[in-house]
Amino acid sequence: MVRRGLNPLDRKLLRDVWRMRLHAAAIALVLACGLSTLIMAAGMRASLSQTRDAYYDAYRMMDVDALVVRAPERISGQLAALPGVRALETRVSGYALLDIPGQSEPASARLVSLPGQGRPAVNDLAMVRGRWPDPAHMEEVVVSEAFADALDLNPGDSLSAVIHGSQRLLKLVGVANSPEFVFVAAPGELFPQPERFGVIWMGRQALARAYDMEGAFNEVVFRLEPEADWTATLRSIDALLAPHGSGGAFGRDRMMSDRFLSEELKQLSTMAIFLPAIFLLVAAFLVNIALGRMIATERSNIGLLKAFGYGDLAVASHYGRSALLIGLIGAALGTVAGLVLGRGVADLYRAYYHLPELAFRAGPMILAGAWAIALAAVSAGAVLAVRQAVRLPPAEALAPPRPPVYGRTGEGSDLLARRLDAKSRIILRRIGRFPRRALSTLAGVALAIALLVVAGAFPAVMDQLLRVHFSISNRQDATLTFAEPRGISGLHAASRLPGVLAAEPFRAEEVRFGKDGREVREMILGLPPDARLSRPVDREGRAVEPPVSGIALSRALAEKLDADPGDLLEVRQVAGRQVEGQVRVSRIVDPVLGSAAYMDLDSLGRLIREPDMISGVHVRLDPAHLESLNARLKETPSIAGVSYLRQAEASMRKAYADGVGVMTTIYLVFAAVMAGGVAFSASRVTFAEQERDLATLRVLGFSRAEASYILLGELMLLALLAVAPGCLLGTGLGVQLMRLFQTDMYSFDFVFSPGAYAFAIAFTLLCVGAAGLIVRTAVDRVDLVAVLKARD
Amino acid sequence: MSRTAPAGTPVLSTRGLCRTYGSGPAAVHALRDIDLDIAEGELIVLLGPSGSGKSTLLNILGGLDRATSGEVAFRGTSLTRLDDRGLTAYRRRNVGFIFQFYNLIPSLTARENIDLVREIADQPLPAEEALDLVGLSARMDHFPAQLSGGEQQRVAVARALAKRPTLLLCDEPTGALDLQTGVRVLEALVEINGRYGSTTLVVTHNADVARLGTRVIHFLDGRIRAIETNTVRARPSDLKW
Repeated sequence: MVRRGLNPLDRKLLRDVWRMRLHAAAIALVLACGLSTLIMAAGMRASLSQTRDAYYDAYRMMDVDALVVRAPERISGQLAALPGVRALETRVSGYALLDIPGQSEPASARLVSLPGQGRPAVNDLAMVRGRWPDPAHMEEVVVSEAFADALDLNPGDSLSAVIHGSQRLLKLVGVANSPEFVFVAAPGELFPQPERFGVIWMGRQALARAYDMEGAFNEVVFRLEPEADWTATLRSIDALLAPHGSGGAFGRDRMMSDRFLSEELKQLSTMAIFLPAIFLLVAAFLVNIALGRMIATERSNIGLLKAFGYGDLAVASHYGRSALLIGLIGAALGTVAGLVLGRGVADLYRAYYHLPELAFRAGPMILAGAWAIALAAVSAGAVLAVRQAVRLPPAEALAPPRPPVYGRTGEGSDLLARRLDAKSRIILRRIGRFPRRALSTLAGVALAIALLVVAGAFPAVMDQLLRVHFSISNRQDATLTFAEPRGISGLHAASRLPGVLAAEPFRAEEVRFGKDGREVREMILGLPPDARLSRPVDREGRAVEPPVSGIALSRALAEKLDADPGDLLEVRQVAGRQVEGQVRVSRIVDPVLGSAAYMDLDSLGRLIREPDMISGVHVRLDPAHLESLNARLKETPSIAGVSYLRQAEASMRKAYADGVGVMTTIYLVFAAVMAGGVAFSASRVTFAEQERDLATLRVLGFSRAEASYILLGELMLLALLAVAPGCLLGTGLGVQLMRLFQTDMYSFDFVFSPGAYAFAIAFTLLCVGAAGLIVRTAVDRVDLVAVLKARD
Repeated sequence: MSRTAPAGTPVLSTRGLCRTYGSGPAAVHALRDIDLDIAEGELIVLLGPSGSGKSTLLNILGGLDRATSGEVAFRGTSLTRLDDRGLTAYRRRNVGFIFQFYNLIPSLTARENIDLVREIADQPLPAEEALDLVGLSARMDHFPAQLSGGEQQRVAVARALAKRPTLLLCDEPTGALDLQTGVRVLEALVEINGRYGSTTLVVTHNADVARLGTRVIHFLDGRIRAIETNTVRARPSDLKW
């Protein structure tokens, strides 16, 4: 491996690194873990963001959406002429209950019309297979890819749908994706359930006929000019649409699919900063320890180099380059791993979001940035150690080092020492004599434990979130959503459905909240005062009764509105008659999912002046009657959607296992690599420092196991001392990370999961033990005579 | 090659002992065909220039190294057949080592360095007694870094002595010391040899030290060149170097 042409110092450098190859490999691996996470997350963020932008651009993703009750088609010309509007598409949209052959539960779909002629000017479709519907054939439809895949639907298949109260037989002719529906969840649901909810596009004429919207539309989507004045344009759109029952035009920030993608990008950014930072910090630590040790053993060589006339800079650069070489190896490994991981994760994203094309790309800027950060971390670790070499005067370096001076550390510890055997005393005194070295080992092990605690807590956090949402907050078996709000008769009708054991009404109303110039669109959930089946709960899983008067805001909503209990909020209904009113904030709640507001059902009815109207019912079911219930639901036009809680939970768990679960596993592996790297590095350095003592013990007649005790004992003692700080640090990091990952939709709380802690502690101690044992084998190979005959 | 054996059962004996490092043309023959019997209680000085094989023999006799061929026996038990565990037990029970560079554990005081071997010895001497014998009772709670070289070597002697070893093997024990300090160390060795009857082997390249021994074995090129018996032994205080 040594080439001609290298100067002697470079050859020495290569040989030095080769001699410490295992140690160097441990450091390089830790660095590689950090760098690969960084490249993967930053690359994925850039790729996803570029893919989204390109997708939005190519398929003309809408900038603004507006729903109306019914507007005549003739105003579309006026809308198109508004300043700032680049293109628009009026359409008819709605929801349908579907009867899928071979599936007992009814599914539902969002219905969106396609223009009578040509492709949509806004929100175009990316056809995956099949063809566009023929306007002459009203029954022809295109369905979204995730839905088609989940239900194994293909062009040529038929499905029966209840659209606006009447039964229709639809013929599937194509499967497509749309930038509008990258993320698809049923109304009121927070997660995609592709086998239960999808998107169906059909001809404008067919849908208009079904909804009695001929010559009219109930939704209009816009693309705006890049330089458009958003506020002014939205205001003029609202002005034109207001007479037609518009709840107000809204931008992408209120579109669920885009919001979800934005949250994902935000989380990738967090991930690109948070985890690599820990790994790089540890790598810097390890470089510092290893190089410090190398310089200590190279003392006389440093003296020689300086005696020969090498300057401080030459000596510094010689040792600095050893660190840099390790850094380069780690960076190369990390880059390869990052690119491989990135490709794998891109596959996950592509499958999950059904993006037309998502190639993982980590551009030169990302790679250069990652390398710069990695090498900076290594250099930071090296600088402190190299300074030691630079400061050593040549004459002093050439003389043997003075033996370390031990002294009394106080009567108390001396009394303790006297009670111990001599070997344990060696351990304690070494730690007391070199507290910085001990502290860095301790810190490294603590960080390894902390990272394992964090990585190991993810499943528990997710489990807690699902448990709170699906078992404590929601205890219904199913939720039936009406096509339109109904009176109390809806509750009675639902109660009489086959197998319904209990029914509980709810009202879900989208409103605009206003306070001091701030405006936020959000749902208000109206619940009966004694709600048992579905009620908000706080993060600890305690039920929160909806206030008898006033409104309870979720924390995320309260923060957006800057509202506190006692504040008065303006409320305007988005749909329907757009009733306006005022309501006082009675409390702030911390639900795990969603950012809705909660009111008493009757109070909400009074607020929007629609007393006793409900949006749907939560029901408990007798499983024996499921079949007949489903059969009945499929032919009940007034019910637009059915959601089964257990299925929603299962699909969320599956989505978790496929996505977050895979990532968690990767982090867990990385955390394990770090624990191993730290343990190995610490053992190696401790061994190097103890070699002479170990040889002495062996010569005195101590067995290998007895001599190894001072090596393993010191390591294990430090590792045990690192347990408590490691757990604390892990908890702190976990709490912070969950806070960073928090979004409008999810509210993560760090969960104290004894299993995660036990695993983190046991695994790290095991790593330290194993690394100690591996290094211990070097005790067997110690050339006793050579070590003991050498000067200190 | 037969060498004169002293009267009585030998505590150590070697027959045809060879030690070669490396192989082929690069092989170094550190010891060649050594036959030797050492009686209980002898103080033997191994004398010769650097690389003559004396330290190699000491290491093999002390169970730190293995012969390439030939036999070594301790009180009739073959050392050549012992595995690593057996050699460790042999060192533990029978051998006390003293090296040129002391090899004290820096994190233990003088007394604690001695306690270290007392923990694994059968009937050890009290640490105080061992240190008293080398004249260091007053310094027993000092750490090695707080002691002079001669004092450190005397602690090493006391540590070797504390387990009442059958064999006391000293490799250049005064190599790093000046005359006055060296003499004090040798006095301690002679005292131990006389008082406890430990068979003592001292490796040195200092010809004057040879006058202390009951016998002097001269080494050259891995062989025994001559064995002399001192009819009159010098006292350490008579030595000069």
